[in-house]
Amino acid sequence: MASFDLTVKYAGEGGEGVISSGDFTMKAAAKLGYEVVTFKSFPAEIKGGYALSQVRMSDKKILSQGDGFDILVAFNGEAYEVNKPLLREGTVLIWDGPEGGDFEPEFEELEKKGVIMYAVPMSKLAKQEVGAYITKNVVAMAATFELLGMPIEALKEEIVAKFSKKGQEVVDLNFKAIEVAQQYVRENIKKIDPYKVPGPLPKKDVIIVEGNEAIALGAAAAGVKVFAAYPITPATTVGNYLAPIILKTGGYVYQAEDEISSMAIVIGASFAGVKAMTATSGPGVSLMQELIGLASMTETPAVIVDVQRGGPSTGMPTKHDQADLFAAALGGHGDDQRIVIAPTNVEENFYLTIESFNMSEKYQVPVLFLTDASLSLRAEAIPTPNIKEIQSKLIERPIIKKGEVSPEELEHLFRYQITENGISPFLAPGESPKPYTATGLEHGENSYPRTTPKERTEMMEKRFKKLENIEDENPHLVEWDLGDLKEGEKADISIVTWGLTASIAKEAIQRLRNKGIKVAALYPKLIYPLPSKAIEKVASMSDILLVPEANYLGHLAKFIRMFTSIPAEKIVQYNIYRGEPFIPKEIEEKVEEILGKKVQA
Amino acid sequence: MDIQYVRLEEKLPPREYKSDLEATWCPGCGDFGVVTALTRAFSEEKLDPTALSLVSGIGCSSRLPLWMNAFGLHSCHGRAIPAAVGVRLAKPEIPTIVTAGDGDLFSIGMEHFPHAARKNFDMVVISMDNRMYALTKNQVSPTSRTGYKGSLTPYGNLDNPFNVLDFAIACGATFVAQTYAGNPKHMTEIIEAAIEHKGFAFVNILSPCPTYNKIDTFKFYKGRLVDINKDLGHDPSDKAKALEHASHALDADWDPEAKVPIGIFYKTEEVPTFEEKVAALKEKYKPENPETVWDDILNQYKV
Repeated sequence: MASFDLTVKYAGEGGEGVISSGDFTMKAAAKLGYEVVTFKSFPAEIKGGYALSQVRMSDKKILSQGDGFDILVAFNGEAYEVNKPLLREGTVLIWDGPEGGDFEPEFEELEKKGVIMYAVPMSKLAKQEVGAYITKNVVAMAATFELLGMPIEALKEEIVAKFSKKGQEVVDLNFKAIEVAQQYVRENIKKIDPYKVPGPLPKKDVIIVEGNEAIALGAAAAGVKVFAAYPITPATTVGNYLAPIILKTGGYVYQAEDEISSMAIVIGASFAGVKAMTATSGPGVSLMQELIGLASMTETPAVIVDVQRGGPSTGMPTKHDQADLFAAALGGHGDDQRIVIAPTNVEENFYLTIESFNMSEKYQVPVLFLTDASLSLRAEAIPTPNIKEIQSKLIERPIIKKGEVSPEELEHLFRYQITENGISPFLAPGESPKPYTATGLEHGENSYPRTTPKERTEMMEKRFKKLENIEDENPHLVEWDLGDLKEGEKADISIVTWGLTASIAKEAIQRLRNKGIKVAALYPKLIYPLPSKAIEKVASMSDILLVPEANYLGHLAKFIRMFTSIPAEKIVQYNIYRGEPFIPKEIEEKVEEILGKKVQA
Repeated sequence: MDIQYVRLEEKLPPREYKSDLEATWCPGCGDFGVVTALTRAFSEEKLDPTALSLVSGIGCSSRLPLWMNAFGLHSCHGRAIPAAVGVRLAKPEIPTIVTAGDGDLFSIGMEHFPHAARKNFDMVVISMDNRMYALTKNQVSPTSRTGYKGSLTPYGNLDNPFNVLDFAIACGATFVAQTYAGNPKHMTEIIEAAIEHKGFAFVNILSPCPTYNKIDTFKFYKGRLVDINKDLGHDPSDKAKALEHASHALDADWDPEAKVPIGIFYKTEEVPTFEEKVAALKEKYKPENPETVWDDILNQYKV
């Protein structure tokens, strides 16, 4: 059990420093050796609208953003109103008062509930004592640190790191804000809440990255040379983070004129023999579909990151959704071959991006990497990766180099040669001795256009053959979570889920197990082609297969119906589509509700 | 940053740039002449078939890479230019020629042309301009004449044709030329000059479709062409004059006395290519010690 597990939530108007408060707190916490997981949400507008940034800290590994918060720092009345229903017994509310703010909490009502309230006049202190309203968030943060007994040095170090470039004056101003806040808290507030954090814990060898940062790092580690993309929320930051890194590793981030162009550039670059990728969101994936089909038909490796957001159409660009699975797997015309990979946390954003390149190179198919808006912003401290080791294990396409094959062998070597596993030699300009033309037309082994029923059938089967054994060849792309159960042992319930929802379900499942409920869970990272055998196996361990996912239609649940022999009546969908991720409690309660009903029946 | 193309030491005969496939174009198609001119230009320029890429979209003319012995990418309709940009970003030492049609480049693929041109990618973009869609059996294209009868416009094209030459100059193309499929010598010279040009080279080739377009025929062009460089003494470095010549490119559509201009309209090498700028950036930011590059990168994320 964790000795402490605490969540601080900053909420207020976008542009007031709410998001950076979370970032500073998270970094300071990581500096203190704590485990951290963040959750952020803000409107699509540049300024204004409700924004929140939440930091969960613990001394033990954290699986999800948690059920709620212990401490709310309300920057304004809207933040208070939005969060008021979530205040419960023992929650701490730090609010902008007793004067200078734009609201007052309902003291009586909250006191009755057992909410602990501390008034910190953050606006007034920033304006009058510090002399700069812009430091309001620093006042709020420093007050929070003071109340929690969190070493302020960690915050100061982060401030120096962030602001020293802007000059000593800026650093001094922020330090003044810290002192003002500390002094105010010491002189005016009597701490009555139980929340405390430990002093600095042993330092770990970690890096702090957000979801999209982890993708950028993974891509660079995998050796991407061409990254082409068009700006789109919430995917743009993948390119932002990659742009400076890739120049050091010999590549280039190219801003294309649109998503169609981005995908064509990826194909052109990969056709030329280098690793290439794009990052986009749902609307971009819709535009890329025809070209993803070209990558499939020409067997050109390509990695397409889809940071899913609320759809359809423009939908909710900054909000969480898991509704692009159908589009990613089946969105093209004709029978094409694709692989869909989905990470469940920030660490997997890194490692599975590398794995996406590996799969793409190995099978010579486009790989769609399905992450989401919440995961894109979630920050985690992850163990510093060993890049040398990773790079020694990278899979590269089999490019035939000049001088490697005899002239006779060359006669019989074709780009789309039918082989036992369907995977053909790769030919690249400037490297290979034998030119060919990659074409989206159906073609024979030598790439010449062909339409005879015999050749069409052979080539279609050749392309699908590549993926025939993908589940068996990649057992590391499904994660089993059986607790104390053995594979095949009887469980009370089976759960299969994917993406960010899996990391949330995992926490819920731990709690259920603590209550004595036997849960057999499986988190596929390879989503398409669906790892049917593993899913059938986990489903066979109980009478119910629960599939929680953040979409209306139940994309994964429908795939399970399509691609497994599991009886439809056994599959229970659990869908939310509100633009926010699940919280562990919901899944915990859903399981209890299902099992409760079962017991009654 | 000077980027050199891969070239052979000795010339290969032009036929070495042909694949075993016979073109499926109709007899008398202007595009046959383009294949001939390309193979001659590649031979003259000593290009290496194993280090040469031909990128196309969809349409009759876009099949061209299939008939050639080079690394071809027959991509999606309209996407030849960005696919070629991908090749350029990946391997700038590989000469890259886009071989597409007027519909592919200027209708469905229109959004790509201005950007590749203004960024000055070092590539040759050839439009085989038959002034209509042929593979789908006769529809109007952006370059079709007013009044042209296509299957979807049986009462005649309501639009004015698009002047691709002054458009290309306005977009920032650093080499803009027009040539004619019925004059292999001129075509070869222009294509060679386009390959040698460092930067975005647009070559519009008037390439008649004998099957559907009964107006813009070899017969129509005969006697109507004027070589603006040789006959009119046009200096391609004169941008204002280039635009003036380009503005008369379509006069012959409605004026029986007017000439159709061919030749190099505009050329400047004062603009650095996109590839050179990327190479300079890579040089500027390359790690001092490649061995520790990842330590340096990861250190930025440590707490």
